[in-house]
Amino acid sequence: MTKMRSDRLKIVFMLCLAFVTSGGKYFESKVAQLIRDETEDIKCFVEGKKDFTCFWEKEDGTNYSQDNYTFTYTYMNENKMDCAVSSLFLLSSNRSVFFCKLPKALFFTSLDVQVLRDGQMLYNRSLNVENILLTDPPRNVTVWSSGKEGQLNVSWLPPAVKYIDDSLIYEVRYAVEDSHMGKVEETKASTMLVLRGLQPDTRYKVWVRVKPDGVSYKGYWSSWTSPVIAVTPPGSMDPLIVLLVVFIILILCLLSMTVILSHHKFLLKKLWPDIPTPEHKFPGLFTVYKGDFKEWMSQNSGSMWARSVQMYTEELPSPLEVLSEVSLSPLDERKLVRDEDQRSDSGLTEPPHWLMEQLRALQENPESLSRSTLLQSHDTYITLNHSSGGQREDDVFEETLPLQTLFTSAGTSSINASHSDLGSLRQSSASGRLSSQSSFEDPNHPWPPKGPGYAYMAVADSGVSLDYSPMSSSRIIEIGKRSFYANEYKNEIFGYKWPFSAQQVQSGY
Amino acid sequence: MDSEMQIIRLFALLLMVLEWTRPGLSSPLRPICDLRVLDHFIKEAWDAEAAMRTCKDDCSIATNVTVPLTRVDFEVWEAMNIEEQAQEVQSGLHMLNEAIGSLQISNQTEVLQSHIDASIRNIASIRQVLRSLSIPEYVPPTSSGEDKETQKISSISELFQVHVNFLRGKARLLLANAPVCRQGVS
Repeated sequence: MTKMRSDRLKIVFMLCLAFVTSGGKYFESKVAQLIRDETEDIKCFVEGKKDFTCFWEKEDGTNYSQDNYTFTYTYMNENKMDCAVSSLFLLSSNRSVFFCKLPKALFFTSLDVQVLRDGQMLYNRSLNVENILLTDPPRNVTVWSSGKEGQLNVSWLPPAVKYIDDSLIYEVRYAVEDSHMGKVEETKASTMLVLRGLQPDTRYKVWVRVKPDGVSYKGYWSSWTSPVIAVTPPGSMDPLIVLLVVFIILILCLLSMTVILSHHKFLLKKLWPDIPTPEHKFPGLFTVYKGDFKEWMSQNSGSMWARSVQMYTEELPSPLEVLSEVSLSPLDERKLVRDEDQRSDSGLTEPPHWLMEQLRALQENPESLSRSTLLQSHDTYITLNHSSGGQREDDVFEETLPLQTLFTSAGTSSINASHSDLGSLRQSSASGRLSSQSSFEDPNHPWPPKGPGYAYMAVADSGVSLDYSPMSSSRIIEIGKRSFYANEYKNEIFGYKWPFSAQQVQSGY
Repeated sequence: MDSEMQIIRLFALLLMVLEWTRPGLSSPLRPICDLRVLDHFIKEAWDAEAAMRTCKDDCSIATNVTVPLTRVDFEVWEAMNIEEQAQEVQSGLHMLNEAIGSLQISNQTEVLQSHIDASIRNIASIRQVLRSLSIPEYVPPTSSGEDKETQKISSISELFQVHVNFLRGKARLLLANAPVCRQGVS
């Protein structure tokens, strides 16, 4: 009976001891932690507003039990109190400790604790309870992704300690799974943290621990929570690839620009061709002599023929056949009959010579031309009127060809001295007259100059505008105007075939 | 006509003067529930306590002063109502104010003097904070005589230890659990 009772008492005692020693879930880990971190002989910690524990390690090589020890504590202005000593064996570190759970925890006041072994003072320590806080680790650690690249959100709940939860700081540790390199971030008075700068699409482990902030309460870092694993969202676009693409585009643009710039002349020629001008054929005419063809001619007289040969090779003028109309004025008819009569005696009439004579007659009688309808054809013939008089300027201008306007020059009888490449018509001051009804055709073979007294014109109608200014520019304007009037209603072809160069004729328009 | 204008002018002037001086009860202060304000004072009290810890020989008080007890038993504290807590805190602040104020008389170094001045200012500020939270003002004890929650000290370092412990403990607990602050928090 007594044996059974003693056995029951032992069982109850063991259970009580087990209950007492178990304490909280983290009691043993806290004890183990303080064994490592606390240097004092008597290690004390308070877990909340109560649960105040002090312990000391069993000395190596001794066999003392808890009965050998006495633990006393004295609060300021209070009496000394005793505390029951218990023992605990730590499996993790294979060590034994003796501890005492103080029934009363008074904060913000001084406390003296003593350990006596067999009545002898072993250890003593003076402390404040609010300075030895060692709480449980944070609860409900949650890690999730907000969707932003390289970020994870961490949140947790503070340990269940009243009055102290507003004076805590937290530490968050995170590392790539299976990696030993971790980073730590601290946060104060907040139970949430955003981790930034993480690798995309990677598994991360996160731990959290807590400690009093040191203003009102002081203490030790709690143990780390169990790791929580989360995956960062995958990266959207590798910035390196974007950068490379941008570089390639830049290089291509530079290359194309270089090609365009190096061949810009060629491209410009193709897209915006130059309007051909005859300036290169008349060196110095526009630059030195300001378009004064007469001056230019006089200066360049020596080399004209050489150039004219060159000109002929480039633009071969064809001879211009000058014909006279059959219908003649009565005066001329009489003259012709007379001539024919004269010639008929010779018995031999050479048809080709009658034309020369006719022309000679015309030279003698310039007025007849106004009445005659010599060379009234509409296509390819011109009438040449070489009169030395200057009376009928107005008549002349009415029927004037545009070419006449171009080829007006001073001098009256110096027709023979025409030296222009194209055999410009050296017209006397007034009466060089050309039928407005004719146009110039592009001759195909060179036309040798014929007898004196005639100005031969070898015209190359290549669309080249020939602008020869006469003595005075005002005259050309005047002429130009009138000629245009003539052209307007007489012969549109002229307007089409004779584009004037811009510099001289613009004023005429 | 003139007299009427005179009356109106006087009336306007009177209104302006009254508005400016605001006799009578002033408008209630905005409650200061942020504990960081008190934490700032506690940090300064820590600095003063650390500075006073070093001076031992020079820092002695001629006569013993009465200071509050700083110990806090949470179970006991929770059992007290707000008025009792307020009374305890207000009387403690009063005692500390008198004790630290008495130190200004004796010759001290500049550093120590600055800590003493800061502590006096901070106690006054804490009283203002309590006033903003509608905490009852200090009522001097009438019949009880010696207050239970008091102690006698004889050194300046002890005084500043009591000072910092009192602010960290009872004063902070009272502010943290002020009814005015808890009303806004669900």
